[in-house]
Order: sequence, then C-alpha cells, then structure tokens
Amino acid sequence: MRDRLNYLLLAGLLGFALPGFAATPLVIEAALDREVVTPLLNAFSSAHPDIALTFHDRSTLEVDTLIETAEPAPDVVISSAMPWQMDRVNQHYARRLDTPRARQWPSWAKWRNEVFGFTFEPIVMAYRLDLPRHMSPPATHADLHTLLTEKQHILDGKITTYSPAQSGVGYTLFQQDARYTPRFWDLVNALGDVNVKLESNTRDMLQGLSAGRYWLGYNLLGSYAMVWAQQHPEVIVQVPQDYALVMMRMAFIHRDAPHPRAAETFLDFLLSHEGQRVLAGQTPLFSIRPDVTGPYTAQRLRDQVGDRLYPIPLNASLLAFVDPQQRHAFMARWLREIEAD
Amino acid sequence: MIKVDGSLKVRLAVWLLVTVTGLGALLMLEAHFSTRHAAERAYDSQLEAAALTIAEAVQWEAGKPIVEVPAAALPILATRNQERVFYAVLDNAGRRISSNLDLPIPPGAQARTSHHPTWRTLQHSGSGWRLYGREHDSAGWETQDPVQVWVGHTLGGRHELAATLFRQTVVRFLAMVLLAGLLMLLAMRVALTPMRRLRHLLRRRKDDDMRPLDARVPEELREMAETLDSLFTRQRASHDALLRFTADASHQLKTPLAGLQSISELALHSRNPDEWHTALVTVHEGTQRTSRLASQLLSLARLRHASDSSGFILIDLAVLLRDTVLDWAGSEAAAHHDLGLAELPHVSTNIRGEPWALCELLGNLIDNALSYTPPGSQITLGLEATGDALELYIEDNGPGVAPAVRERLLHPFERGGRQDTRGSGLGLAIVDSIARRHAARLVLTARKPCGLCVALHFLTAEQEIQDA
Repeated sequence: MRDRLNYLLLAGLLGFALPGFAATPLVIEAALDREVVTPLLNAFSSAHPDIALTFHDRSTLEVDTLIETAEPAPDVVISSAMPWQMDRVNQHYARRLDTPRARQWPSWAKWRNEVFGFTFEPIVMAYRLDLPRHMSPPATHADLHTLLTEKQHILDGKITTYSPAQSGVGYTLFQQDARYTPRFWDLVNALGDVNVKLESNTRDMLQGLSAGRYWLGYNLLGSYAMVWAQQHPEVIVQVPQDYALVMMRMAFIHRDAPHPRAAETFLDFLLSHEGQRVLAGQTPLFSIRPDVTGPYTAQRLRDQVGDRLYPIPLNASLLAFVDPQQRHAFMARWLREIEAD
Repeated sequence: MIKVDGSLKVRLAVWLLVTVTGLGALLMLEAHFSTRHAAERAYDSQLEAAALTIAEAVQWEAGKPIVEVPAAALPILATRNQERVFYAVLDNAGRRISSNLDLPIPPGAQARTSHHPTWRTLQHSGSGWRLYGREHDSAGWETQDPVQVWVGHTLGGRHELAATLFRQTVVRFLAMVLLAGLLMLLAMRVALTPMRRLRHLLRRRKDDDMRPLDARVPEELREMAETLDSLFTRQRASHDALLRFTADASHQLKTPLAGLQSISELALHSRNPDEWHTALVTVHEGTQRTSRLASQLLSLARLRHASDSSGFILIDLAVLLRDTVLDWAGSEAAAHHDLGLAELPHVSTNIRGEPWALCELLGNLIDNALSYTPPGSQITLGLEATGDALELYIEDNGPGVAPAVRERLLHPFERGGRQDTRGSGLGLAIVDSIARRHAARLVLTARKPCGLCVALHFLTAEQEIQDA
C-alpha cells in the first residue's frame, strides 16, 4: 500500500516536472472527420502538451449510443446530429462549463451553458460540371424543384441526397426544410420521381459527384463540399439563394467524464479565440466568433451569401425532432412522398 | 451638574433602527413567500400553456392516440431560462404513448389528474422538477378515451426569478429605510430649531438679566420655557433678597458705628478722665454688640452659602438638647426665667447633622426666647418622637406674636415689631437657615393661652436612610 502511494506520489511529481510523461488522457467521441479537424487537434495538443488527446471519429448514431453505453464514459462528445445531442443534454448527460468564454458565447449557439455549437456550416447544393451543359443549374429550392420536374428524364438516377433513415444530420435537415414550407414535400415527391440515391454522409455524395455517378447533390454539408470543390474542379458548390440552412456541431462534456479538467480545457479551447482562429483558418468548419478572421468565418459567409443563412435553432424545439412518434410520422410521409408517382 | 445622557439623534436613530429591523424582518419574510409564489405562478402558467399545446396535437388513428409533439411547445416548456424539459402523453390505461424522459409520474397524481389538473414537485436524477398533468378529452372514430398530458421542467428559472424579485424588494426596502433616515435627520433639524433658538437667546443674555423670556416656542417647549421663566423669577427674588439683606446689614452695622463715632468724638472734646471712662465703657459695650452682630451676619452668610453635607455626622438630638439646656439654665442670662426641659422620649433620637450648627440653632432659639419674653416667663424645650420624625420644640408663655408678623419673623433683622430688646433680629433667620440645611421643617404656632411655640421636625437617621 505504502509502496503504491509512493509510486503515485512519484508519478505526480514527474507529471508536474515533465508534463509529457504523465499526461492526462482525454477521450473525445466525435461525429467529425478526423482529417478536417486535425489542425484544431494539433493546435490544442501544442497548447496543452500535458493532455494526451484521443480522438475517435464515428458516425452520429454511434456517438449517440456511446454517450449512454461507453464504459468509461467519453470526456467530450461532439456531434452534428443536433436533436440527438440536445436530447442527451436534456437527459442530464452534460456537465456545465463555467468559464468566462462559455458565459460570453453567443446565446443562440449554446444551451444551458452545457452544450455549445462551435461551428457554422452552411448546407449547400453541389453539382457536377456536366449539369450546366444540359440546363441552367439551380440556385434556389424552387429552381431545383422545377429542374427535377422538367428534366426528369435526364436527371433520373443522377441526384443524390442524405438518407433521413440512416443519417441523423440528413433527417434533421429535412425536418427543418419541412418546417419552413409544405412545398418541401413536392420536392421530395420530385426527388422520388428521379429515383434519388440516398447516401449516409456528405463524403459519399461528393465522391459520387466526382466519379460522375451523380450530377447533383442536395443538402450537403458546405464545410466538406467547399474543400472538396477546391480539390476537385468538376464539382461546383451552390449555396441556395432563397435560404441556406446552417448546421452547428454541438460539443459537451460528458456528465461522467473521467477527466473533467482536461475536458473543460478542451471545450474552453474550442470556444477560445485561438481555437476558433484555427477553425476559421485551417478547417472549413467556419468560426462563430465575430472577432476571428480567416477564410472560414460565419461573418465572411454572411458577407458572401447575405442574410439568407438560417441556422437550425439550438433550443428545446430540437427535441421534437427526436420524438419517436414525430420521427415515425415524418418517415412515413417521406416514404409516401418518395414512392408516390 | 449636567450629565449628557446620550443624544436625541442617537436615541431616535436607535428607535428607528429597532422598529425598522422588526418591521423589515416581517416584510422580508412576507416578500420571501410572495416572490416565491409569484415566480411559481409565472412559470406554472408556461407549463399550462405547453401542456395545452401538446394536448391540442393529440389525434386518433386506428383506435390509437398519436401525438406529434409540436416543436413550439418545447421552448415554451424550457422557458427563457433553458430548463430541462419533460413531456409525456399517457393513454387511458396509464401507458406512455409518447415521452422524452423516464421520469416517474406518481401513480396517485395520475389518478387525481383524471378529476382535475395536478401539480407535483419532485426530485429526479439530482434536480428538482415541477410537473403538471391535465386530462385531455379527444375523440376518434373508434375510441373516445381521454388521454393525460404531463409536462415538466427543472426549477432553476423559478429560483432565479424568485431570488431576483426578492433582491429587488430588499433593495427597495433598504432605499426606503435610507430615505426615511435622511428625512428623520432633516425633520430633527427642523424640529430642534426652536430649541436652538432658545439656546442662543439664553446664551446672549447678560449675567444680571433676570427678566422673563421673550421667545417664540412650540407647544412642546412651553413647559420648559415656563420653568425657565419661573427659575428666573425665583433667582430675581433671591437676588433682590440678597441685595436687601446687604442693605439691611449695612444699615444695622452703620447705626452702632455712628453711635460709637459720636461718643468717641464727644469724649475727645472732653478733658475729664471720668467722662473718658464712661465713654470707653459705652464704646466697649457698643463694639461688643456690633461684633456679635457681625459674627451673626457671618454665620448667616456662611449657612446660606454652604451647601455640601460633608460635615454631617450621627448625633443624638436628645443628648444635645439636654446638654445645651443645662448649659443655658446655669448661665446668667437665664437667671430671671424659668428654663425647663420636658421629658425626653425613650426611642432612638439619632439624626444626621452638623453639631456646631445644631448648637447654634438651639442657642439662638433659647436666646430669642429669653430676650423676647418678660422676666419670670416659663420657657420649655422638649423632644417628641412622632412616627418617623422627631419634633424639637421650644415654647414660652410670653406675649406671643401676632399671626401677621409671625410669617415675617424668619426674615433677617425682623424683631417682631419689638424695639425694646438688644437682639439683632438675625436669630430666627439663622435658625431657619440651619433647619433648611438639615431638611427640617420649621413651624411657628401660637400657644394657648398665650406665648409662642417654635417646632422643628427632623427626619430620624433611620428614616433618612430609608428615603435614600
């Protein structure tokens, strides 16, 4: 017993003297591409060498399940499936972050100071250069609907979008679309008519576009699509001109986080000027902070696109999306519309 | 001696503080409950609104109730304070059709809700929850069962609102107290202005100004002003008396001195040693009388001005009386009178007093009696214990004194209208002064059938201690 105590003491001393040797572990379960977020993680590691960061990139569904089942619980949970994150926070799975930065974070991008939306990702359409050769590319939702109805035979099988059943993000986006206008169902109907191909993530859609399988993708994550378009000139990104949804990645500290200190440090870093600067400059995730400059900031996006950005509200109304009956009804309608003639 | 016993301002402030503290405690208690109640009501109404919104969304499909929870209900439920929210829709059998948390609804509350809306406050997973349940009647084509809608949220906002309201109440109350304090200070300044005016008036007065006050005072100060006025009146009287006494004393001294001067002048003109001798004898007698007068004046002045009772000791009045009477009875002055002593009482006759002053008092009384009664008169001294007092008296069967004159006898140089004696008229005045010093009551009464009785009522030493 005494030997063990001494050992612990020694370890503590070493940890104090040589941070690299006894670093605090920090486990992050995230629905966020590792490639995309690497600059941010590197910046954090160099700012806090005493924290050994483990980052697991998973699907939104996996992340949501792990919140409940992981043993030990993850320290930080990041996901783009906003309603599910909100539901977990409402279930008391989050721990409050009480730092000056957290308090100053804009109120439209946080809830209860427990969960924080730290990115600002526009939802876009993307089309292959083949498309403009046959028709004028869509700039609005109405354009898309017209195009789908008028050029049904050309576009048959060439359209892709999220699968609401397999992707939490896709489901959320369609729900939000349906909330704005009942004409959304006409669009779904039209998508059904052109035998839309459903994918479970943006990456697959983009790969399909580059490979020439698809000509047009609807409701892609702008953050991924914009980077892709830079590297693949055959893909053009179109921010809808009538309205563009904006999705936020939501991060919270798990209630049972084994390393709450490190988790707080990480989340505080996410909200910090430094973290958001890396986000805006080296990732396409778009910084929320108005005082950060870089190619990817909410402010710059607003300047480019105008006031037609509609962030999915980060409040209790998100909980309605995960209500089983609500979801069941939505999916039933979706299937009905997509299969209708 | 003036002792400063606190200040009116402090006293008023203390009173204000005590009452305000008491009142404040009650007020705070009331505020605590009422603000909590107000917060509860404000937030409960949001629960009601949310429950109604959800209830409106209940529909029947194939004999089963379905509810697509309206998104708008949830922010209402969460309130501005972003509470954690709970909702559940139960069918007639108590099964949950839709619910977002496994928060248990007490079965008793479920049963009650079928009669009327129910409120519950309970603990779940480490936080307090406020639940509201109401029954909703909605009919489908196949089934017409009622459903129960339960909503709830955590209590943070209520507590915060109650705390804010309470804080505001406290701040308002403190501001009021502060204002009241300031007003009180101001009011006191105003109220004390007449007092300050009076003070200035008194301070400006000349030393010898004994005229009545000429000041405007409020009703509350009238008594004090009147007392001051009467004090001035009495001081004026005593001042006048002093002047009169000085004038009388000078006059009394001047007469014999003038006589001495004329006798000595006559003798100086004469060459006859016999006449010188006669003149010297007269001068001797005159100076004797004058020096006696002067010494009496001195002792009167001394008695009137000495006010401390440090020289007081315990004296047995009976012993003193007996010794003095025995001394006098043997003296030449009493040779032609029947000076006697009545039987002395057997009780304690101790009083507190100055021996020399009491000797002087007895001497003066006996001397007066001898001087103002014809030879052969009976003079009796006595001591009687009457309850808590000792009555020392001296009575004679001489001619007595007319009632009108009797009052004036105590004034200096008053001889009761008699010019046939060698007395100076200071005797009874001295007696009176000594009696006052000993807090004794001096009473002059006529004696039946003739003569005068002078009685002095002393408090016994025991009684004096009791009184103290």
